[in-house]
Amino acid sequence: MALLEIADLSVNYGEIEALRGVSLTINEGAVVALLGSNGAGKSTTLRAISGLIAPRAGRILFDGKPIAGLGPRAIVKLGVAHVPEGRRVFPGLSVRENIMLGASNGAASSAAIRREADAMFDLFPDIRPFADKLGWTLSGGQQQMVAVARGLMAKPRLLLLDEPSLGLAPVIVQAVFQIIGEIHQRGATVLLVEQNAHMALKVADWGYVLETGRLALGGDPATLWSDERIRDAYLGGANPAARHGRA
Amino acid sequence: MDFFLQLLFTGVGIGAVYALVALGFVLIFRATNVVNFAQGEFSMVAAFLMVVFAVDLGWPYWLAFAIAIAGMALLGAIFNLLVYYPLRNRSYLPVLISTIGAQIFLSNSVLALYGPQPQVLPGWFDTPGIQLGPVYLDSQYLLIIAVTLGLVAFQYWLFERTLLGKKLQATSQDKEMAALLGIPVAAMIMITFVYSAVLGGIAGILVAPVLFVSIQMGSAIALKAFAATIIGGFGDVAGAILGGFAIGIIETFGAAYISVPFKDAFAFLVLILFLAVRPQGIFGERVAEKA
Amino acid sequence: MTIEGEALFLKVSGHPPSPTLPRKGGGGNVPAGLLAYALVAVVFVALAATVKTDDYVANILMQAATYAIAVFGLSIVLGLCGQINLAQAAFFALGAYAVGLGTADYRLPFWLCLAVGIAIALAAGALLGVSTLRLGGHYLAMVTISFQQILTVVLINAIGFTHGPDGVSSIGRPALFASGQAFLALAVAAFAISGYFVWRLPNTRLGRAMRAVRDNELAASAAGIDVFRTKVTAFALCAGLGGLGGGLFAGGFSYVSPDQFAFSDSIVLLTMALLGGVSSPIGSAIGTGLLILIPEWLRFLKSVPGLYLAIYGAAVILIVIFMPDGIWGFVGRLFRPRALAAPAPTEPLALRPAASGADVVLDVRGLAKYFGGLKAVDGVDFTVRRGEVHALIGPNGSGKTTTLNVVTGLYRATAGRIFVDGVDVTALPAHKRTSAGLARTFQNIRLFRSMTALENVVIGAEREGNTLVEAGHGALQSRARAALDFVGLGSRAHETVPSFSYGHQRLIEIARALAANPTVLLLDEPAAGLNSSEKKSLHDLLDRIAAEGLTILIIDHDMTLIAGVAEHLTVLNFGRRIADGETAEVLRQPDVVTAYLGAS
Repeated sequence: MALLEIADLSVNYGEIEALRGVSLTINEGAVVALLGSNGAGKSTTLRAISGLIAPRAGRILFDGKPIAGLGPRAIVKLGVAHVPEGRRVFPGLSVRENIMLGASNGAASSAAIRREADAMFDLFPDIRPFADKLGWTLSGGQQQMVAVARGLMAKPRLLLLDEPSLGLAPVIVQAVFQIIGEIHQRGATVLLVEQNAHMALKVADWGYVLETGRLALGGDPATLWSDERIRDAYLGGANPAARHGRA
Repeated sequence: MDFFLQLLFTGVGIGAVYALVALGFVLIFRATNVVNFAQGEFSMVAAFLMVVFAVDLGWPYWLAFAIAIAGMALLGAIFNLLVYYPLRNRSYLPVLISTIGAQIFLSNSVLALYGPQPQVLPGWFDTPGIQLGPVYLDSQYLLIIAVTLGLVAFQYWLFERTLLGKKLQATSQDKEMAALLGIPVAAMIMITFVYSAVLGGIAGILVAPVLFVSIQMGSAIALKAFAATIIGGFGDVAGAILGGFAIGIIETFGAAYISVPFKDAFAFLVLILFLAVRPQGIFGERVAEKA
Repeated sequence: MTIEGEALFLKVSGHPPSPTLPRKGGGGNVPAGLLAYALVAVVFVALAATVKTDDYVANILMQAATYAIAVFGLSIVLGLCGQINLAQAAFFALGAYAVGLGTADYRLPFWLCLAVGIAIALAAGALLGVSTLRLGGHYLAMVTISFQQILTVVLINAIGFTHGPDGVSSIGRPALFASGQAFLALAVAAFAISGYFVWRLPNTRLGRAMRAVRDNELAASAAGIDVFRTKVTAFALCAGLGGLGGGLFAGGFSYVSPDQFAFSDSIVLLTMALLGGVSSPIGSAIGTGLLILIPEWLRFLKSVPGLYLAIYGAAVILIVIFMPDGIWGFVGRLFRPRALAAPAPTEPLALRPAASGADVVLDVRGLAKYFGGLKAVDGVDFTVRRGEVHALIGPNGSGKTTTLNVVTGLYRATAGRIFVDGVDVTALPAHKRTSAGLARTFQNIRLFRSMTALENVVIGAEREGNTLVEAGHGALQSRARAALDFVGLGSRAHETVPSFSYGHQRLIEIARALAANPTVLLLDEPAAGLNSSEKKSLHDLLDRIAAEGLTILIIDHDMTLIAGVAEHLTVLNFGRRIADGETAEVLRQPDVVTAYLGAS
């Protein structure tokens, strides 16, 4: 059953066409990877879903309801949490405070939120020792975990993760993806944007590949990975004409 | 030595006023990146409201105080809507100029409505002061220091112990991320303006019995408060408070040991010195640079 | 991470200000304009000298003329250069008191006092301008306010020297212009002369540099402009004009006192500038005139103290919100001059990179850049050979853009050395590296949006060290035109930047870099935001540039483009170099594939 349906989405930044006619589907409980090289339009897709940018054309349906053009506050209330690129942990607030603010879309009491934040450390034991340390003092990997924990506090039905591995050393990337796997096992629905196709396809149930704003490929991870066109999408191909298959 | 202690007391007292105004100023800056040149006028308007209600109309002091504070809250809200909000997406310069316009408008509106005569606002207490050993503790100054410490404690509690304070801080640090979490950014900014206006108003009401209540009192206080935030580190809350006390002390000692008429110039000289030598202030981390 | 400069006027109003009227090439037009202006000026001066008016009108005109000169100063520093100055009344005061004290107390000749006053003001302005080395925006505003306040305090309190609040009276005038009428004519003449200067300034090299600094400081620096010196000069000129106005004011009214030169008066001058339109002297004149006349027409408002200024303050807010370009800017938009027809084509663009020298034009050794604990670039070496097209690639976050920014001088290197044609540029500021032969474009297009395509490219051509261009406006214009022709936009040379599509704006940026005749052309993600046909054109353009023998270093994510144009690749990952060599071979290396796709 489709939790998120995007049909024919086009997004512009001024006159630059960032996305053109993109369609994809995310089923409830699935982890879907959205891949592509830098500039392909992956982050733009997430920003359109979470309401940071209004699309020029196309439809976005969340649980059957159209959400295109709504603002971020309304969309997060509907149950979509966006963990943006670059982590964006609040530098002057502690880890615990950052995580607690993840529940800002609801009306729970401060005490209840604190309890939930404490429970979150069970899922992210590596950052428990840093609970009272300020955000800016953490390493990239630690900040990433804080950002994901913060996103989960909203009890989202759909979690949007934007390039969680960006700038992280390979060992840390493993840890981050392990967490994504665990979240998946708990039944969450995740749309994962990644440049690191290999790691993403290892945790995903389904994958899409964007190339310069259009959908180039879509399929199950094994098929995608073995398709040489995915390599072309990242590293360029010898024969450009042959590459524009799916749309 | 006695003289020194007396000066210290006075310096801390007047510094407390600067600290309050500086605090309001820094809060607005952190939330909106706006340098509010009209910050001092909040103090001036509140002082005049007190004069109108407590002196001219003769109402009870506490009632006049409540009305003045309510008036400042309203003024802060209107200020947000008319002066900041229409320009919130433009660069710093139009907003800066707009706040200067607001400063001129506010100070001259009061002048037009009330007249140029400086007014006298009586202090809160009937007893003028206490003699503590060699030092004479003026009661109004004691009140100023006490209220300021109370407000600083409140500020600390609000920011460090409440969820609302965290949301306010989050909005200052990363507006877009705050919006993504569901934090109502516009409301946070409104609260900031209202709170800052009230802080400024309290500062004005506290200091009014010590100076005259005049049209110019706002700018005089504000410029010292700006100096305080520079010294403390632009954008740093603790820095602004400590900077306020520092400016008060420097100014008082400067007036006593060097020269009274030029004491106003001292704050500015210190300001320029800091900007020249250490623009990030004592606590600030980012260099004072804004293209 | 990069420091973002803001185009002042784009943010202020959403529109660029009216473009400075383009001049037909060559010097032929200048005498004609000057002649016309001089004629009009002479007429007005003659009128001022001969038409008898009552004292009231004469006073108004005197105040208007002298204030307008000060407002011209603001139009330079704020309108042209984009820097805030809230102390113009202080500079006005310096000139006024120099003349006042000099003639009244020391009995010195008027002209000497005026000259001294202007000189003091110039120096003070330059000093204030020095503070822009480290400060901008709010901080600069505060420094100027502080200066203004300190001066006011000194004027009021240094009674022995300044007479304090009593002011200075019996101020002298020059013998030739002793009568009120004659002095008024002098003031009008000074107004006319300074107006001409301010009118012509935008199209001079200095004026262009100021406009570039206003529009995009980073790009100005990269194009070879010494941003700091430009700002200091702008401040000095502004202050000097303020001093001139003040000196004449003192002579005109024979009496000055501190309350005429307070912070509120600086605000009045600023408002005059904003109301009329801060980017042109006509705007300054309009604003000054209106804000002196309006209070006279509405004199009843002055009967209630504070009412006039309260309305003033509200007006400032309204102007900023609704009419940020001022009256003249608004009018200018209605009657936008039609873009001149493109000038005749000139000889094709010559790109003769410094012929001498070694094979290696860019040598980067052990480059490191740390941002606190973050090691964005961690020991990178590579060399670029003359005539080569060399690409620097790597996944997002690999450090390539940081490397480019360190090489061009946007950031200072934490460690390592950079050599351009054998010259160690590691410690040089960005504009000096441009003089040494680097030219770059930016990923997020940094053009000077208020200027035409031609003006943008002329700035590139003007860089110090460009041996292919002799001084002289004609030569610069032809070179700029040739560069625009080379990228295919020659016929649109006189259109302003916003009228070009994104892809074409990128081409203008490239033309600006080419006009500088660089040793190495550095392109930062030139394909970003382009559609596929634009990318094809870009590919062709790069091929043509390479065919001229120019050395290119390019960063991009579009591998098709990179594989098509670059002979040599350096691949970065996590701030380190992981591969370097011939393109096809490097792209096959397993390390490189892993870096992009993840381990397989």
